[in-house]
Amino acid sequence: MPSTDYQGSSSPLTNLGRSFLPLRRDQVHSMESPIGGSPSNEAELESFQRQVADRFHDLASVPSDELLSLPWVRKLIDAFLCCQEEFRVILFNNRTPVKKPPMDRLIADYNERAVKALDVCNAIRDGIEQIRQWQKLIEIVLCALGGDNNSYQRSLGEGQFRRARKALVDLAIAMLDEKDSGQALAHRNRSFGRHNNSSSHSKDHHHRSLGHFRSLSWSVSRSWSAARQLQAIGNNLAVPRGNEVLATNGLAMPVYTMGSVLLFVMWALVAAIPCQDRGLQVHFNFPRQFPWAAPIISLHERILEESKKRDRKNACGLLREIYQMEKCSRLLGELADSVQFPLNEEKEKEVKQRVNELKQVSDAMKEDLEPLEKQVREVFHRIVRNRTEGLDSL
Amino acid sequence: MELPENPNKDSNGYESAEKIILRWDSTASEDAREKMIFETNPHEADLYLQAVDEIQRFLSHASISNNAAASTDDQLKVNSTIQIAMARLEDEFRNILMTNSSASLFDPSSSFSTSSHHELEEDDTVSNEDSSHNGLLQLQHCESSDSSTYRSTSSIREVDLMPGEAISDLQAIATRMISSGYLRECIQMYGSVRKSAIDSSFRKLGIEKLSIGDIQRLEWEALESKIRRWIRAAKVCVRILFASEKKLCELIFECVGTDIDDACFMETVKGPAIQLFNFAEAISISRGSPEKLFKILDLHDALMDLLPDIEAVFVSKSSDSIRVQAAEILSRLAEAARGILSEFESVILREPSRVPVPGGAIHPLTRYVMNYISLISDYKQTLIELILSKPSTGSRYSGDQSTPDMEFAELEGKTPLALYLIWIIVVLQFNLEGKSKHYRDASLAHLFIMNNVHYIVQKVKGSPELREMIGDDYLRKLTGKFRQAATSYQRATWVSVLYCLRDEGLHVSGSFSSGVSKSALRERFKTFNAMFEEVHRTQATCLIADTQLREELRISISEKLIPAYR
Repeated sequence: MPSTDYQGSSSPLTNLGRSFLPLRRDQVHSMESPIGGSPSNEAELESFQRQVADRFHDLASVPSDELLSLPWVRKLIDAFLCCQEEFRVILFNNRTPVKKPPMDRLIADYNERAVKALDVCNAIRDGIEQIRQWQKLIEIVLCALGGDNNSYQRSLGEGQFRRARKALVDLAIAMLDEKDSGQALAHRNRSFGRHNNSSSHSKDHHHRSLGHFRSLSWSVSRSWSAARQLQAIGNNLAVPRGNEVLATNGLAMPVYTMGSVLLFVMWALVAAIPCQDRGLQVHFNFPRQFPWAAPIISLHERILEESKKRDRKNACGLLREIYQMEKCSRLLGELADSVQFPLNEEKEKEVKQRVNELKQVSDAMKEDLEPLEKQVREVFHRIVRNRTEGLDSL
Repeated sequence: MELPENPNKDSNGYESAEKIILRWDSTASEDAREKMIFETNPHEADLYLQAVDEIQRFLSHASISNNAAASTDDQLKVNSTIQIAMARLEDEFRNILMTNSSASLFDPSSSFSTSSHHELEEDDTVSNEDSSHNGLLQLQHCESSDSSTYRSTSSIREVDLMPGEAISDLQAIATRMISSGYLRECIQMYGSVRKSAIDSSFRKLGIEKLSIGDIQRLEWEALESKIRRWIRAAKVCVRILFASEKKLCELIFECVGTDIDDACFMETVKGPAIQLFNFAEAISISRGSPEKLFKILDLHDALMDLLPDIEAVFVSKSSDSIRVQAAEILSRLAEAARGILSEFESVILREPSRVPVPGGAIHPLTRYVMNYISLISDYKQTLIELILSKPSTGSRYSGDQSTPDMEFAELEGKTPLALYLIWIIVVLQFNLEGKSKHYRDASLAHLFIMNNVHYIVQKVKGSPELREMIGDDYLRKLTGKFRQAATSYQRATWVSVLYCLRDEGLHVSGSFSSGVSKSALRERFKTFNAMFEEVHRTQATCLIADTQLREELRISISEKLIPAYR
């Protein structure tokens, strides 16, 4: 395996300066085997780093109204799946060195991280189901106010507004971040106007059961925490030391890269989609030498910033469509509260406009939710499969 | 509860209907808020429903005939009335559902839970008949439904989840809600209340919400009992609980078409079903060490058994994902089992203990392996289907001393499982050979091999399934091996002693007496005694566990020794 081909060529060293940690020249000279391994191996590793970087540059270059939208999240998952495939190919092409220490331990570490991500995948699946429930409530609103295609055009009366308002209240409660559901429930009740001060035990029960309903919809125990899970995934994720890189023929680098990508993607999913205990304070520390570090760090910062904005601080998920749903339904609710009957033409137009906005959001979501769920499931499957393959070959 | 038509009442009918509806507007009066129509008075309920029908009739007439008399104002008023009625019906619907959903099927104090303790002591290979009957007996209403035409399996047992009166009330309300376009509200509410009920049933069945991480952290013993409990619970869930929910949906939404009852069913059951299967999925992806094999096979068999029922209950397109998940889990469990078996192989090959067993007795590894493969042969049925490929033997015929070898030519016609078992025995012997080299005393090495191979043979003979799979050919080979080891052992032990008793060197020609040299003889006897003592001492510490073998050996040795002595 060791060869002395590299001693004359200068390119590997310059490559090293660019894509790997800068190692001291004398360290390089004192070793017999080249740091990047055989020429083909080095090109392979180099190309992997570049492709990861390209994908994340792509993801990072979107305008802010596209960031964390459903199509963007789907693209993110796609990028993850591609990176993972390439990673798998690298491991396959280097199967002999992969079985030797310390590489075997590094791979085992990565697989442990990936298994932790499986629980996140399941939580995201639950979250998607939650979003679907909200969508069903929106459909009621649309049906009531003439926004769906089925109802024939008729003028809007008090009855329809009452129906829509009820659904809007239910939606607002359902979209509350878990932590706030207690007090905000009362607040919402008040803010939705005079028609909703009914205290019939059945209605209260209804609202309570909606909140209760949310806890039923998590398929994990009350003590499970997305934040803790993310921290576990990022635990001990450290840039490989110089001697590790040398000992593994450079293969320690893609392992670290893949671990970082995994962590970021899971973190972004938790940020976007509702799940239990969505804390986003995971420590990210990717050295800038890696070509993919800059775009990922930039995305991280942008998403964090979004989460701190006033009107998004208490959101149960940063997905752009969730924001739109919440905003549209809130505006519509306020409008519905303020109308006087009979409706004048101007008001009616306003209502119809809001309803249309809501419909657009709803339609956009309808298309993307199911494919998103399938993608998340695919991530689950690939992680399991790669792990099994890894275990078998050891 | 068929409501009579009243074609004669026209606008009068409408007005009185409207009055009834408005009277029960819960946002308008305290009284209306407090009382539930369907709870208090069936007659009131009838009247109310009739009123709703009247309004609906009026509305549809107005829209169909495009009646100019129905001005926009009137239309809006009617719409408003309908909405009030629907809001009321929603409340009533929810109320009836909740009243009738709190009675749970599974009472923890009933004998269902004691029967579960019972089953814990029984053999773990559960047949589907047994457990579904056990679960049945404890349920309160166990009439099976006749109306199910699409059920293909007989192990599904639907149960009445609600009294018939409640169901017909619900049906009456649902029909009106749906014909007024309030389908979505209906489904949503139905789903949320019934899901609650299922959740409490789940808890009573002991189905927990565990994450994959939780399961990984559990001790194997704890996990074993959870798996056992899950298998029992899953059977009840699929065959009784879910099937009964499905039937309930069908009954309540009988008049309005199959899409709707299916939508309600999925709304209710999808989440719980995913929660249920998540456990099995977590097990199927966990790392398998050899002791986990049998529980994994149990889980595999149970799920295999349930698959037709799952397909019967979750038959619609919207439940695709559930069926798919179940099938995926099944194949992962099979993979996990295969993984364990191949891991087992390498565990035996690499088992590293070097300290020789005192007295050349049976090595714990031998016991472990043979016990394990006897258990494997108990699961023959499942494993024959799971193991599809021949064991990989690395370099065959390579003459490489560092890997075991097996000639497959003579083993044609055997199932892969049988080949696997034979291969395991080959690998075990290979390891044992290696261990035997650690004995300083050559005779002990032979004794060791003899004892262990003999044990293998005994174990194979002792299990009919194992014997049938291993086959008499290979058995003979093994027998030959331990006999050979026995011979080698005897030779190695006694050769030096026998040497003392040999004839040559004793006869001296010439001198006074022809015959045996006295001194030489005396010398010989002294050595003989010494050696005999020595051998006796060492042999006393040797162990031959099997009495029959011991006897055989004793006889064989004395056969050789005594004549020589004479």
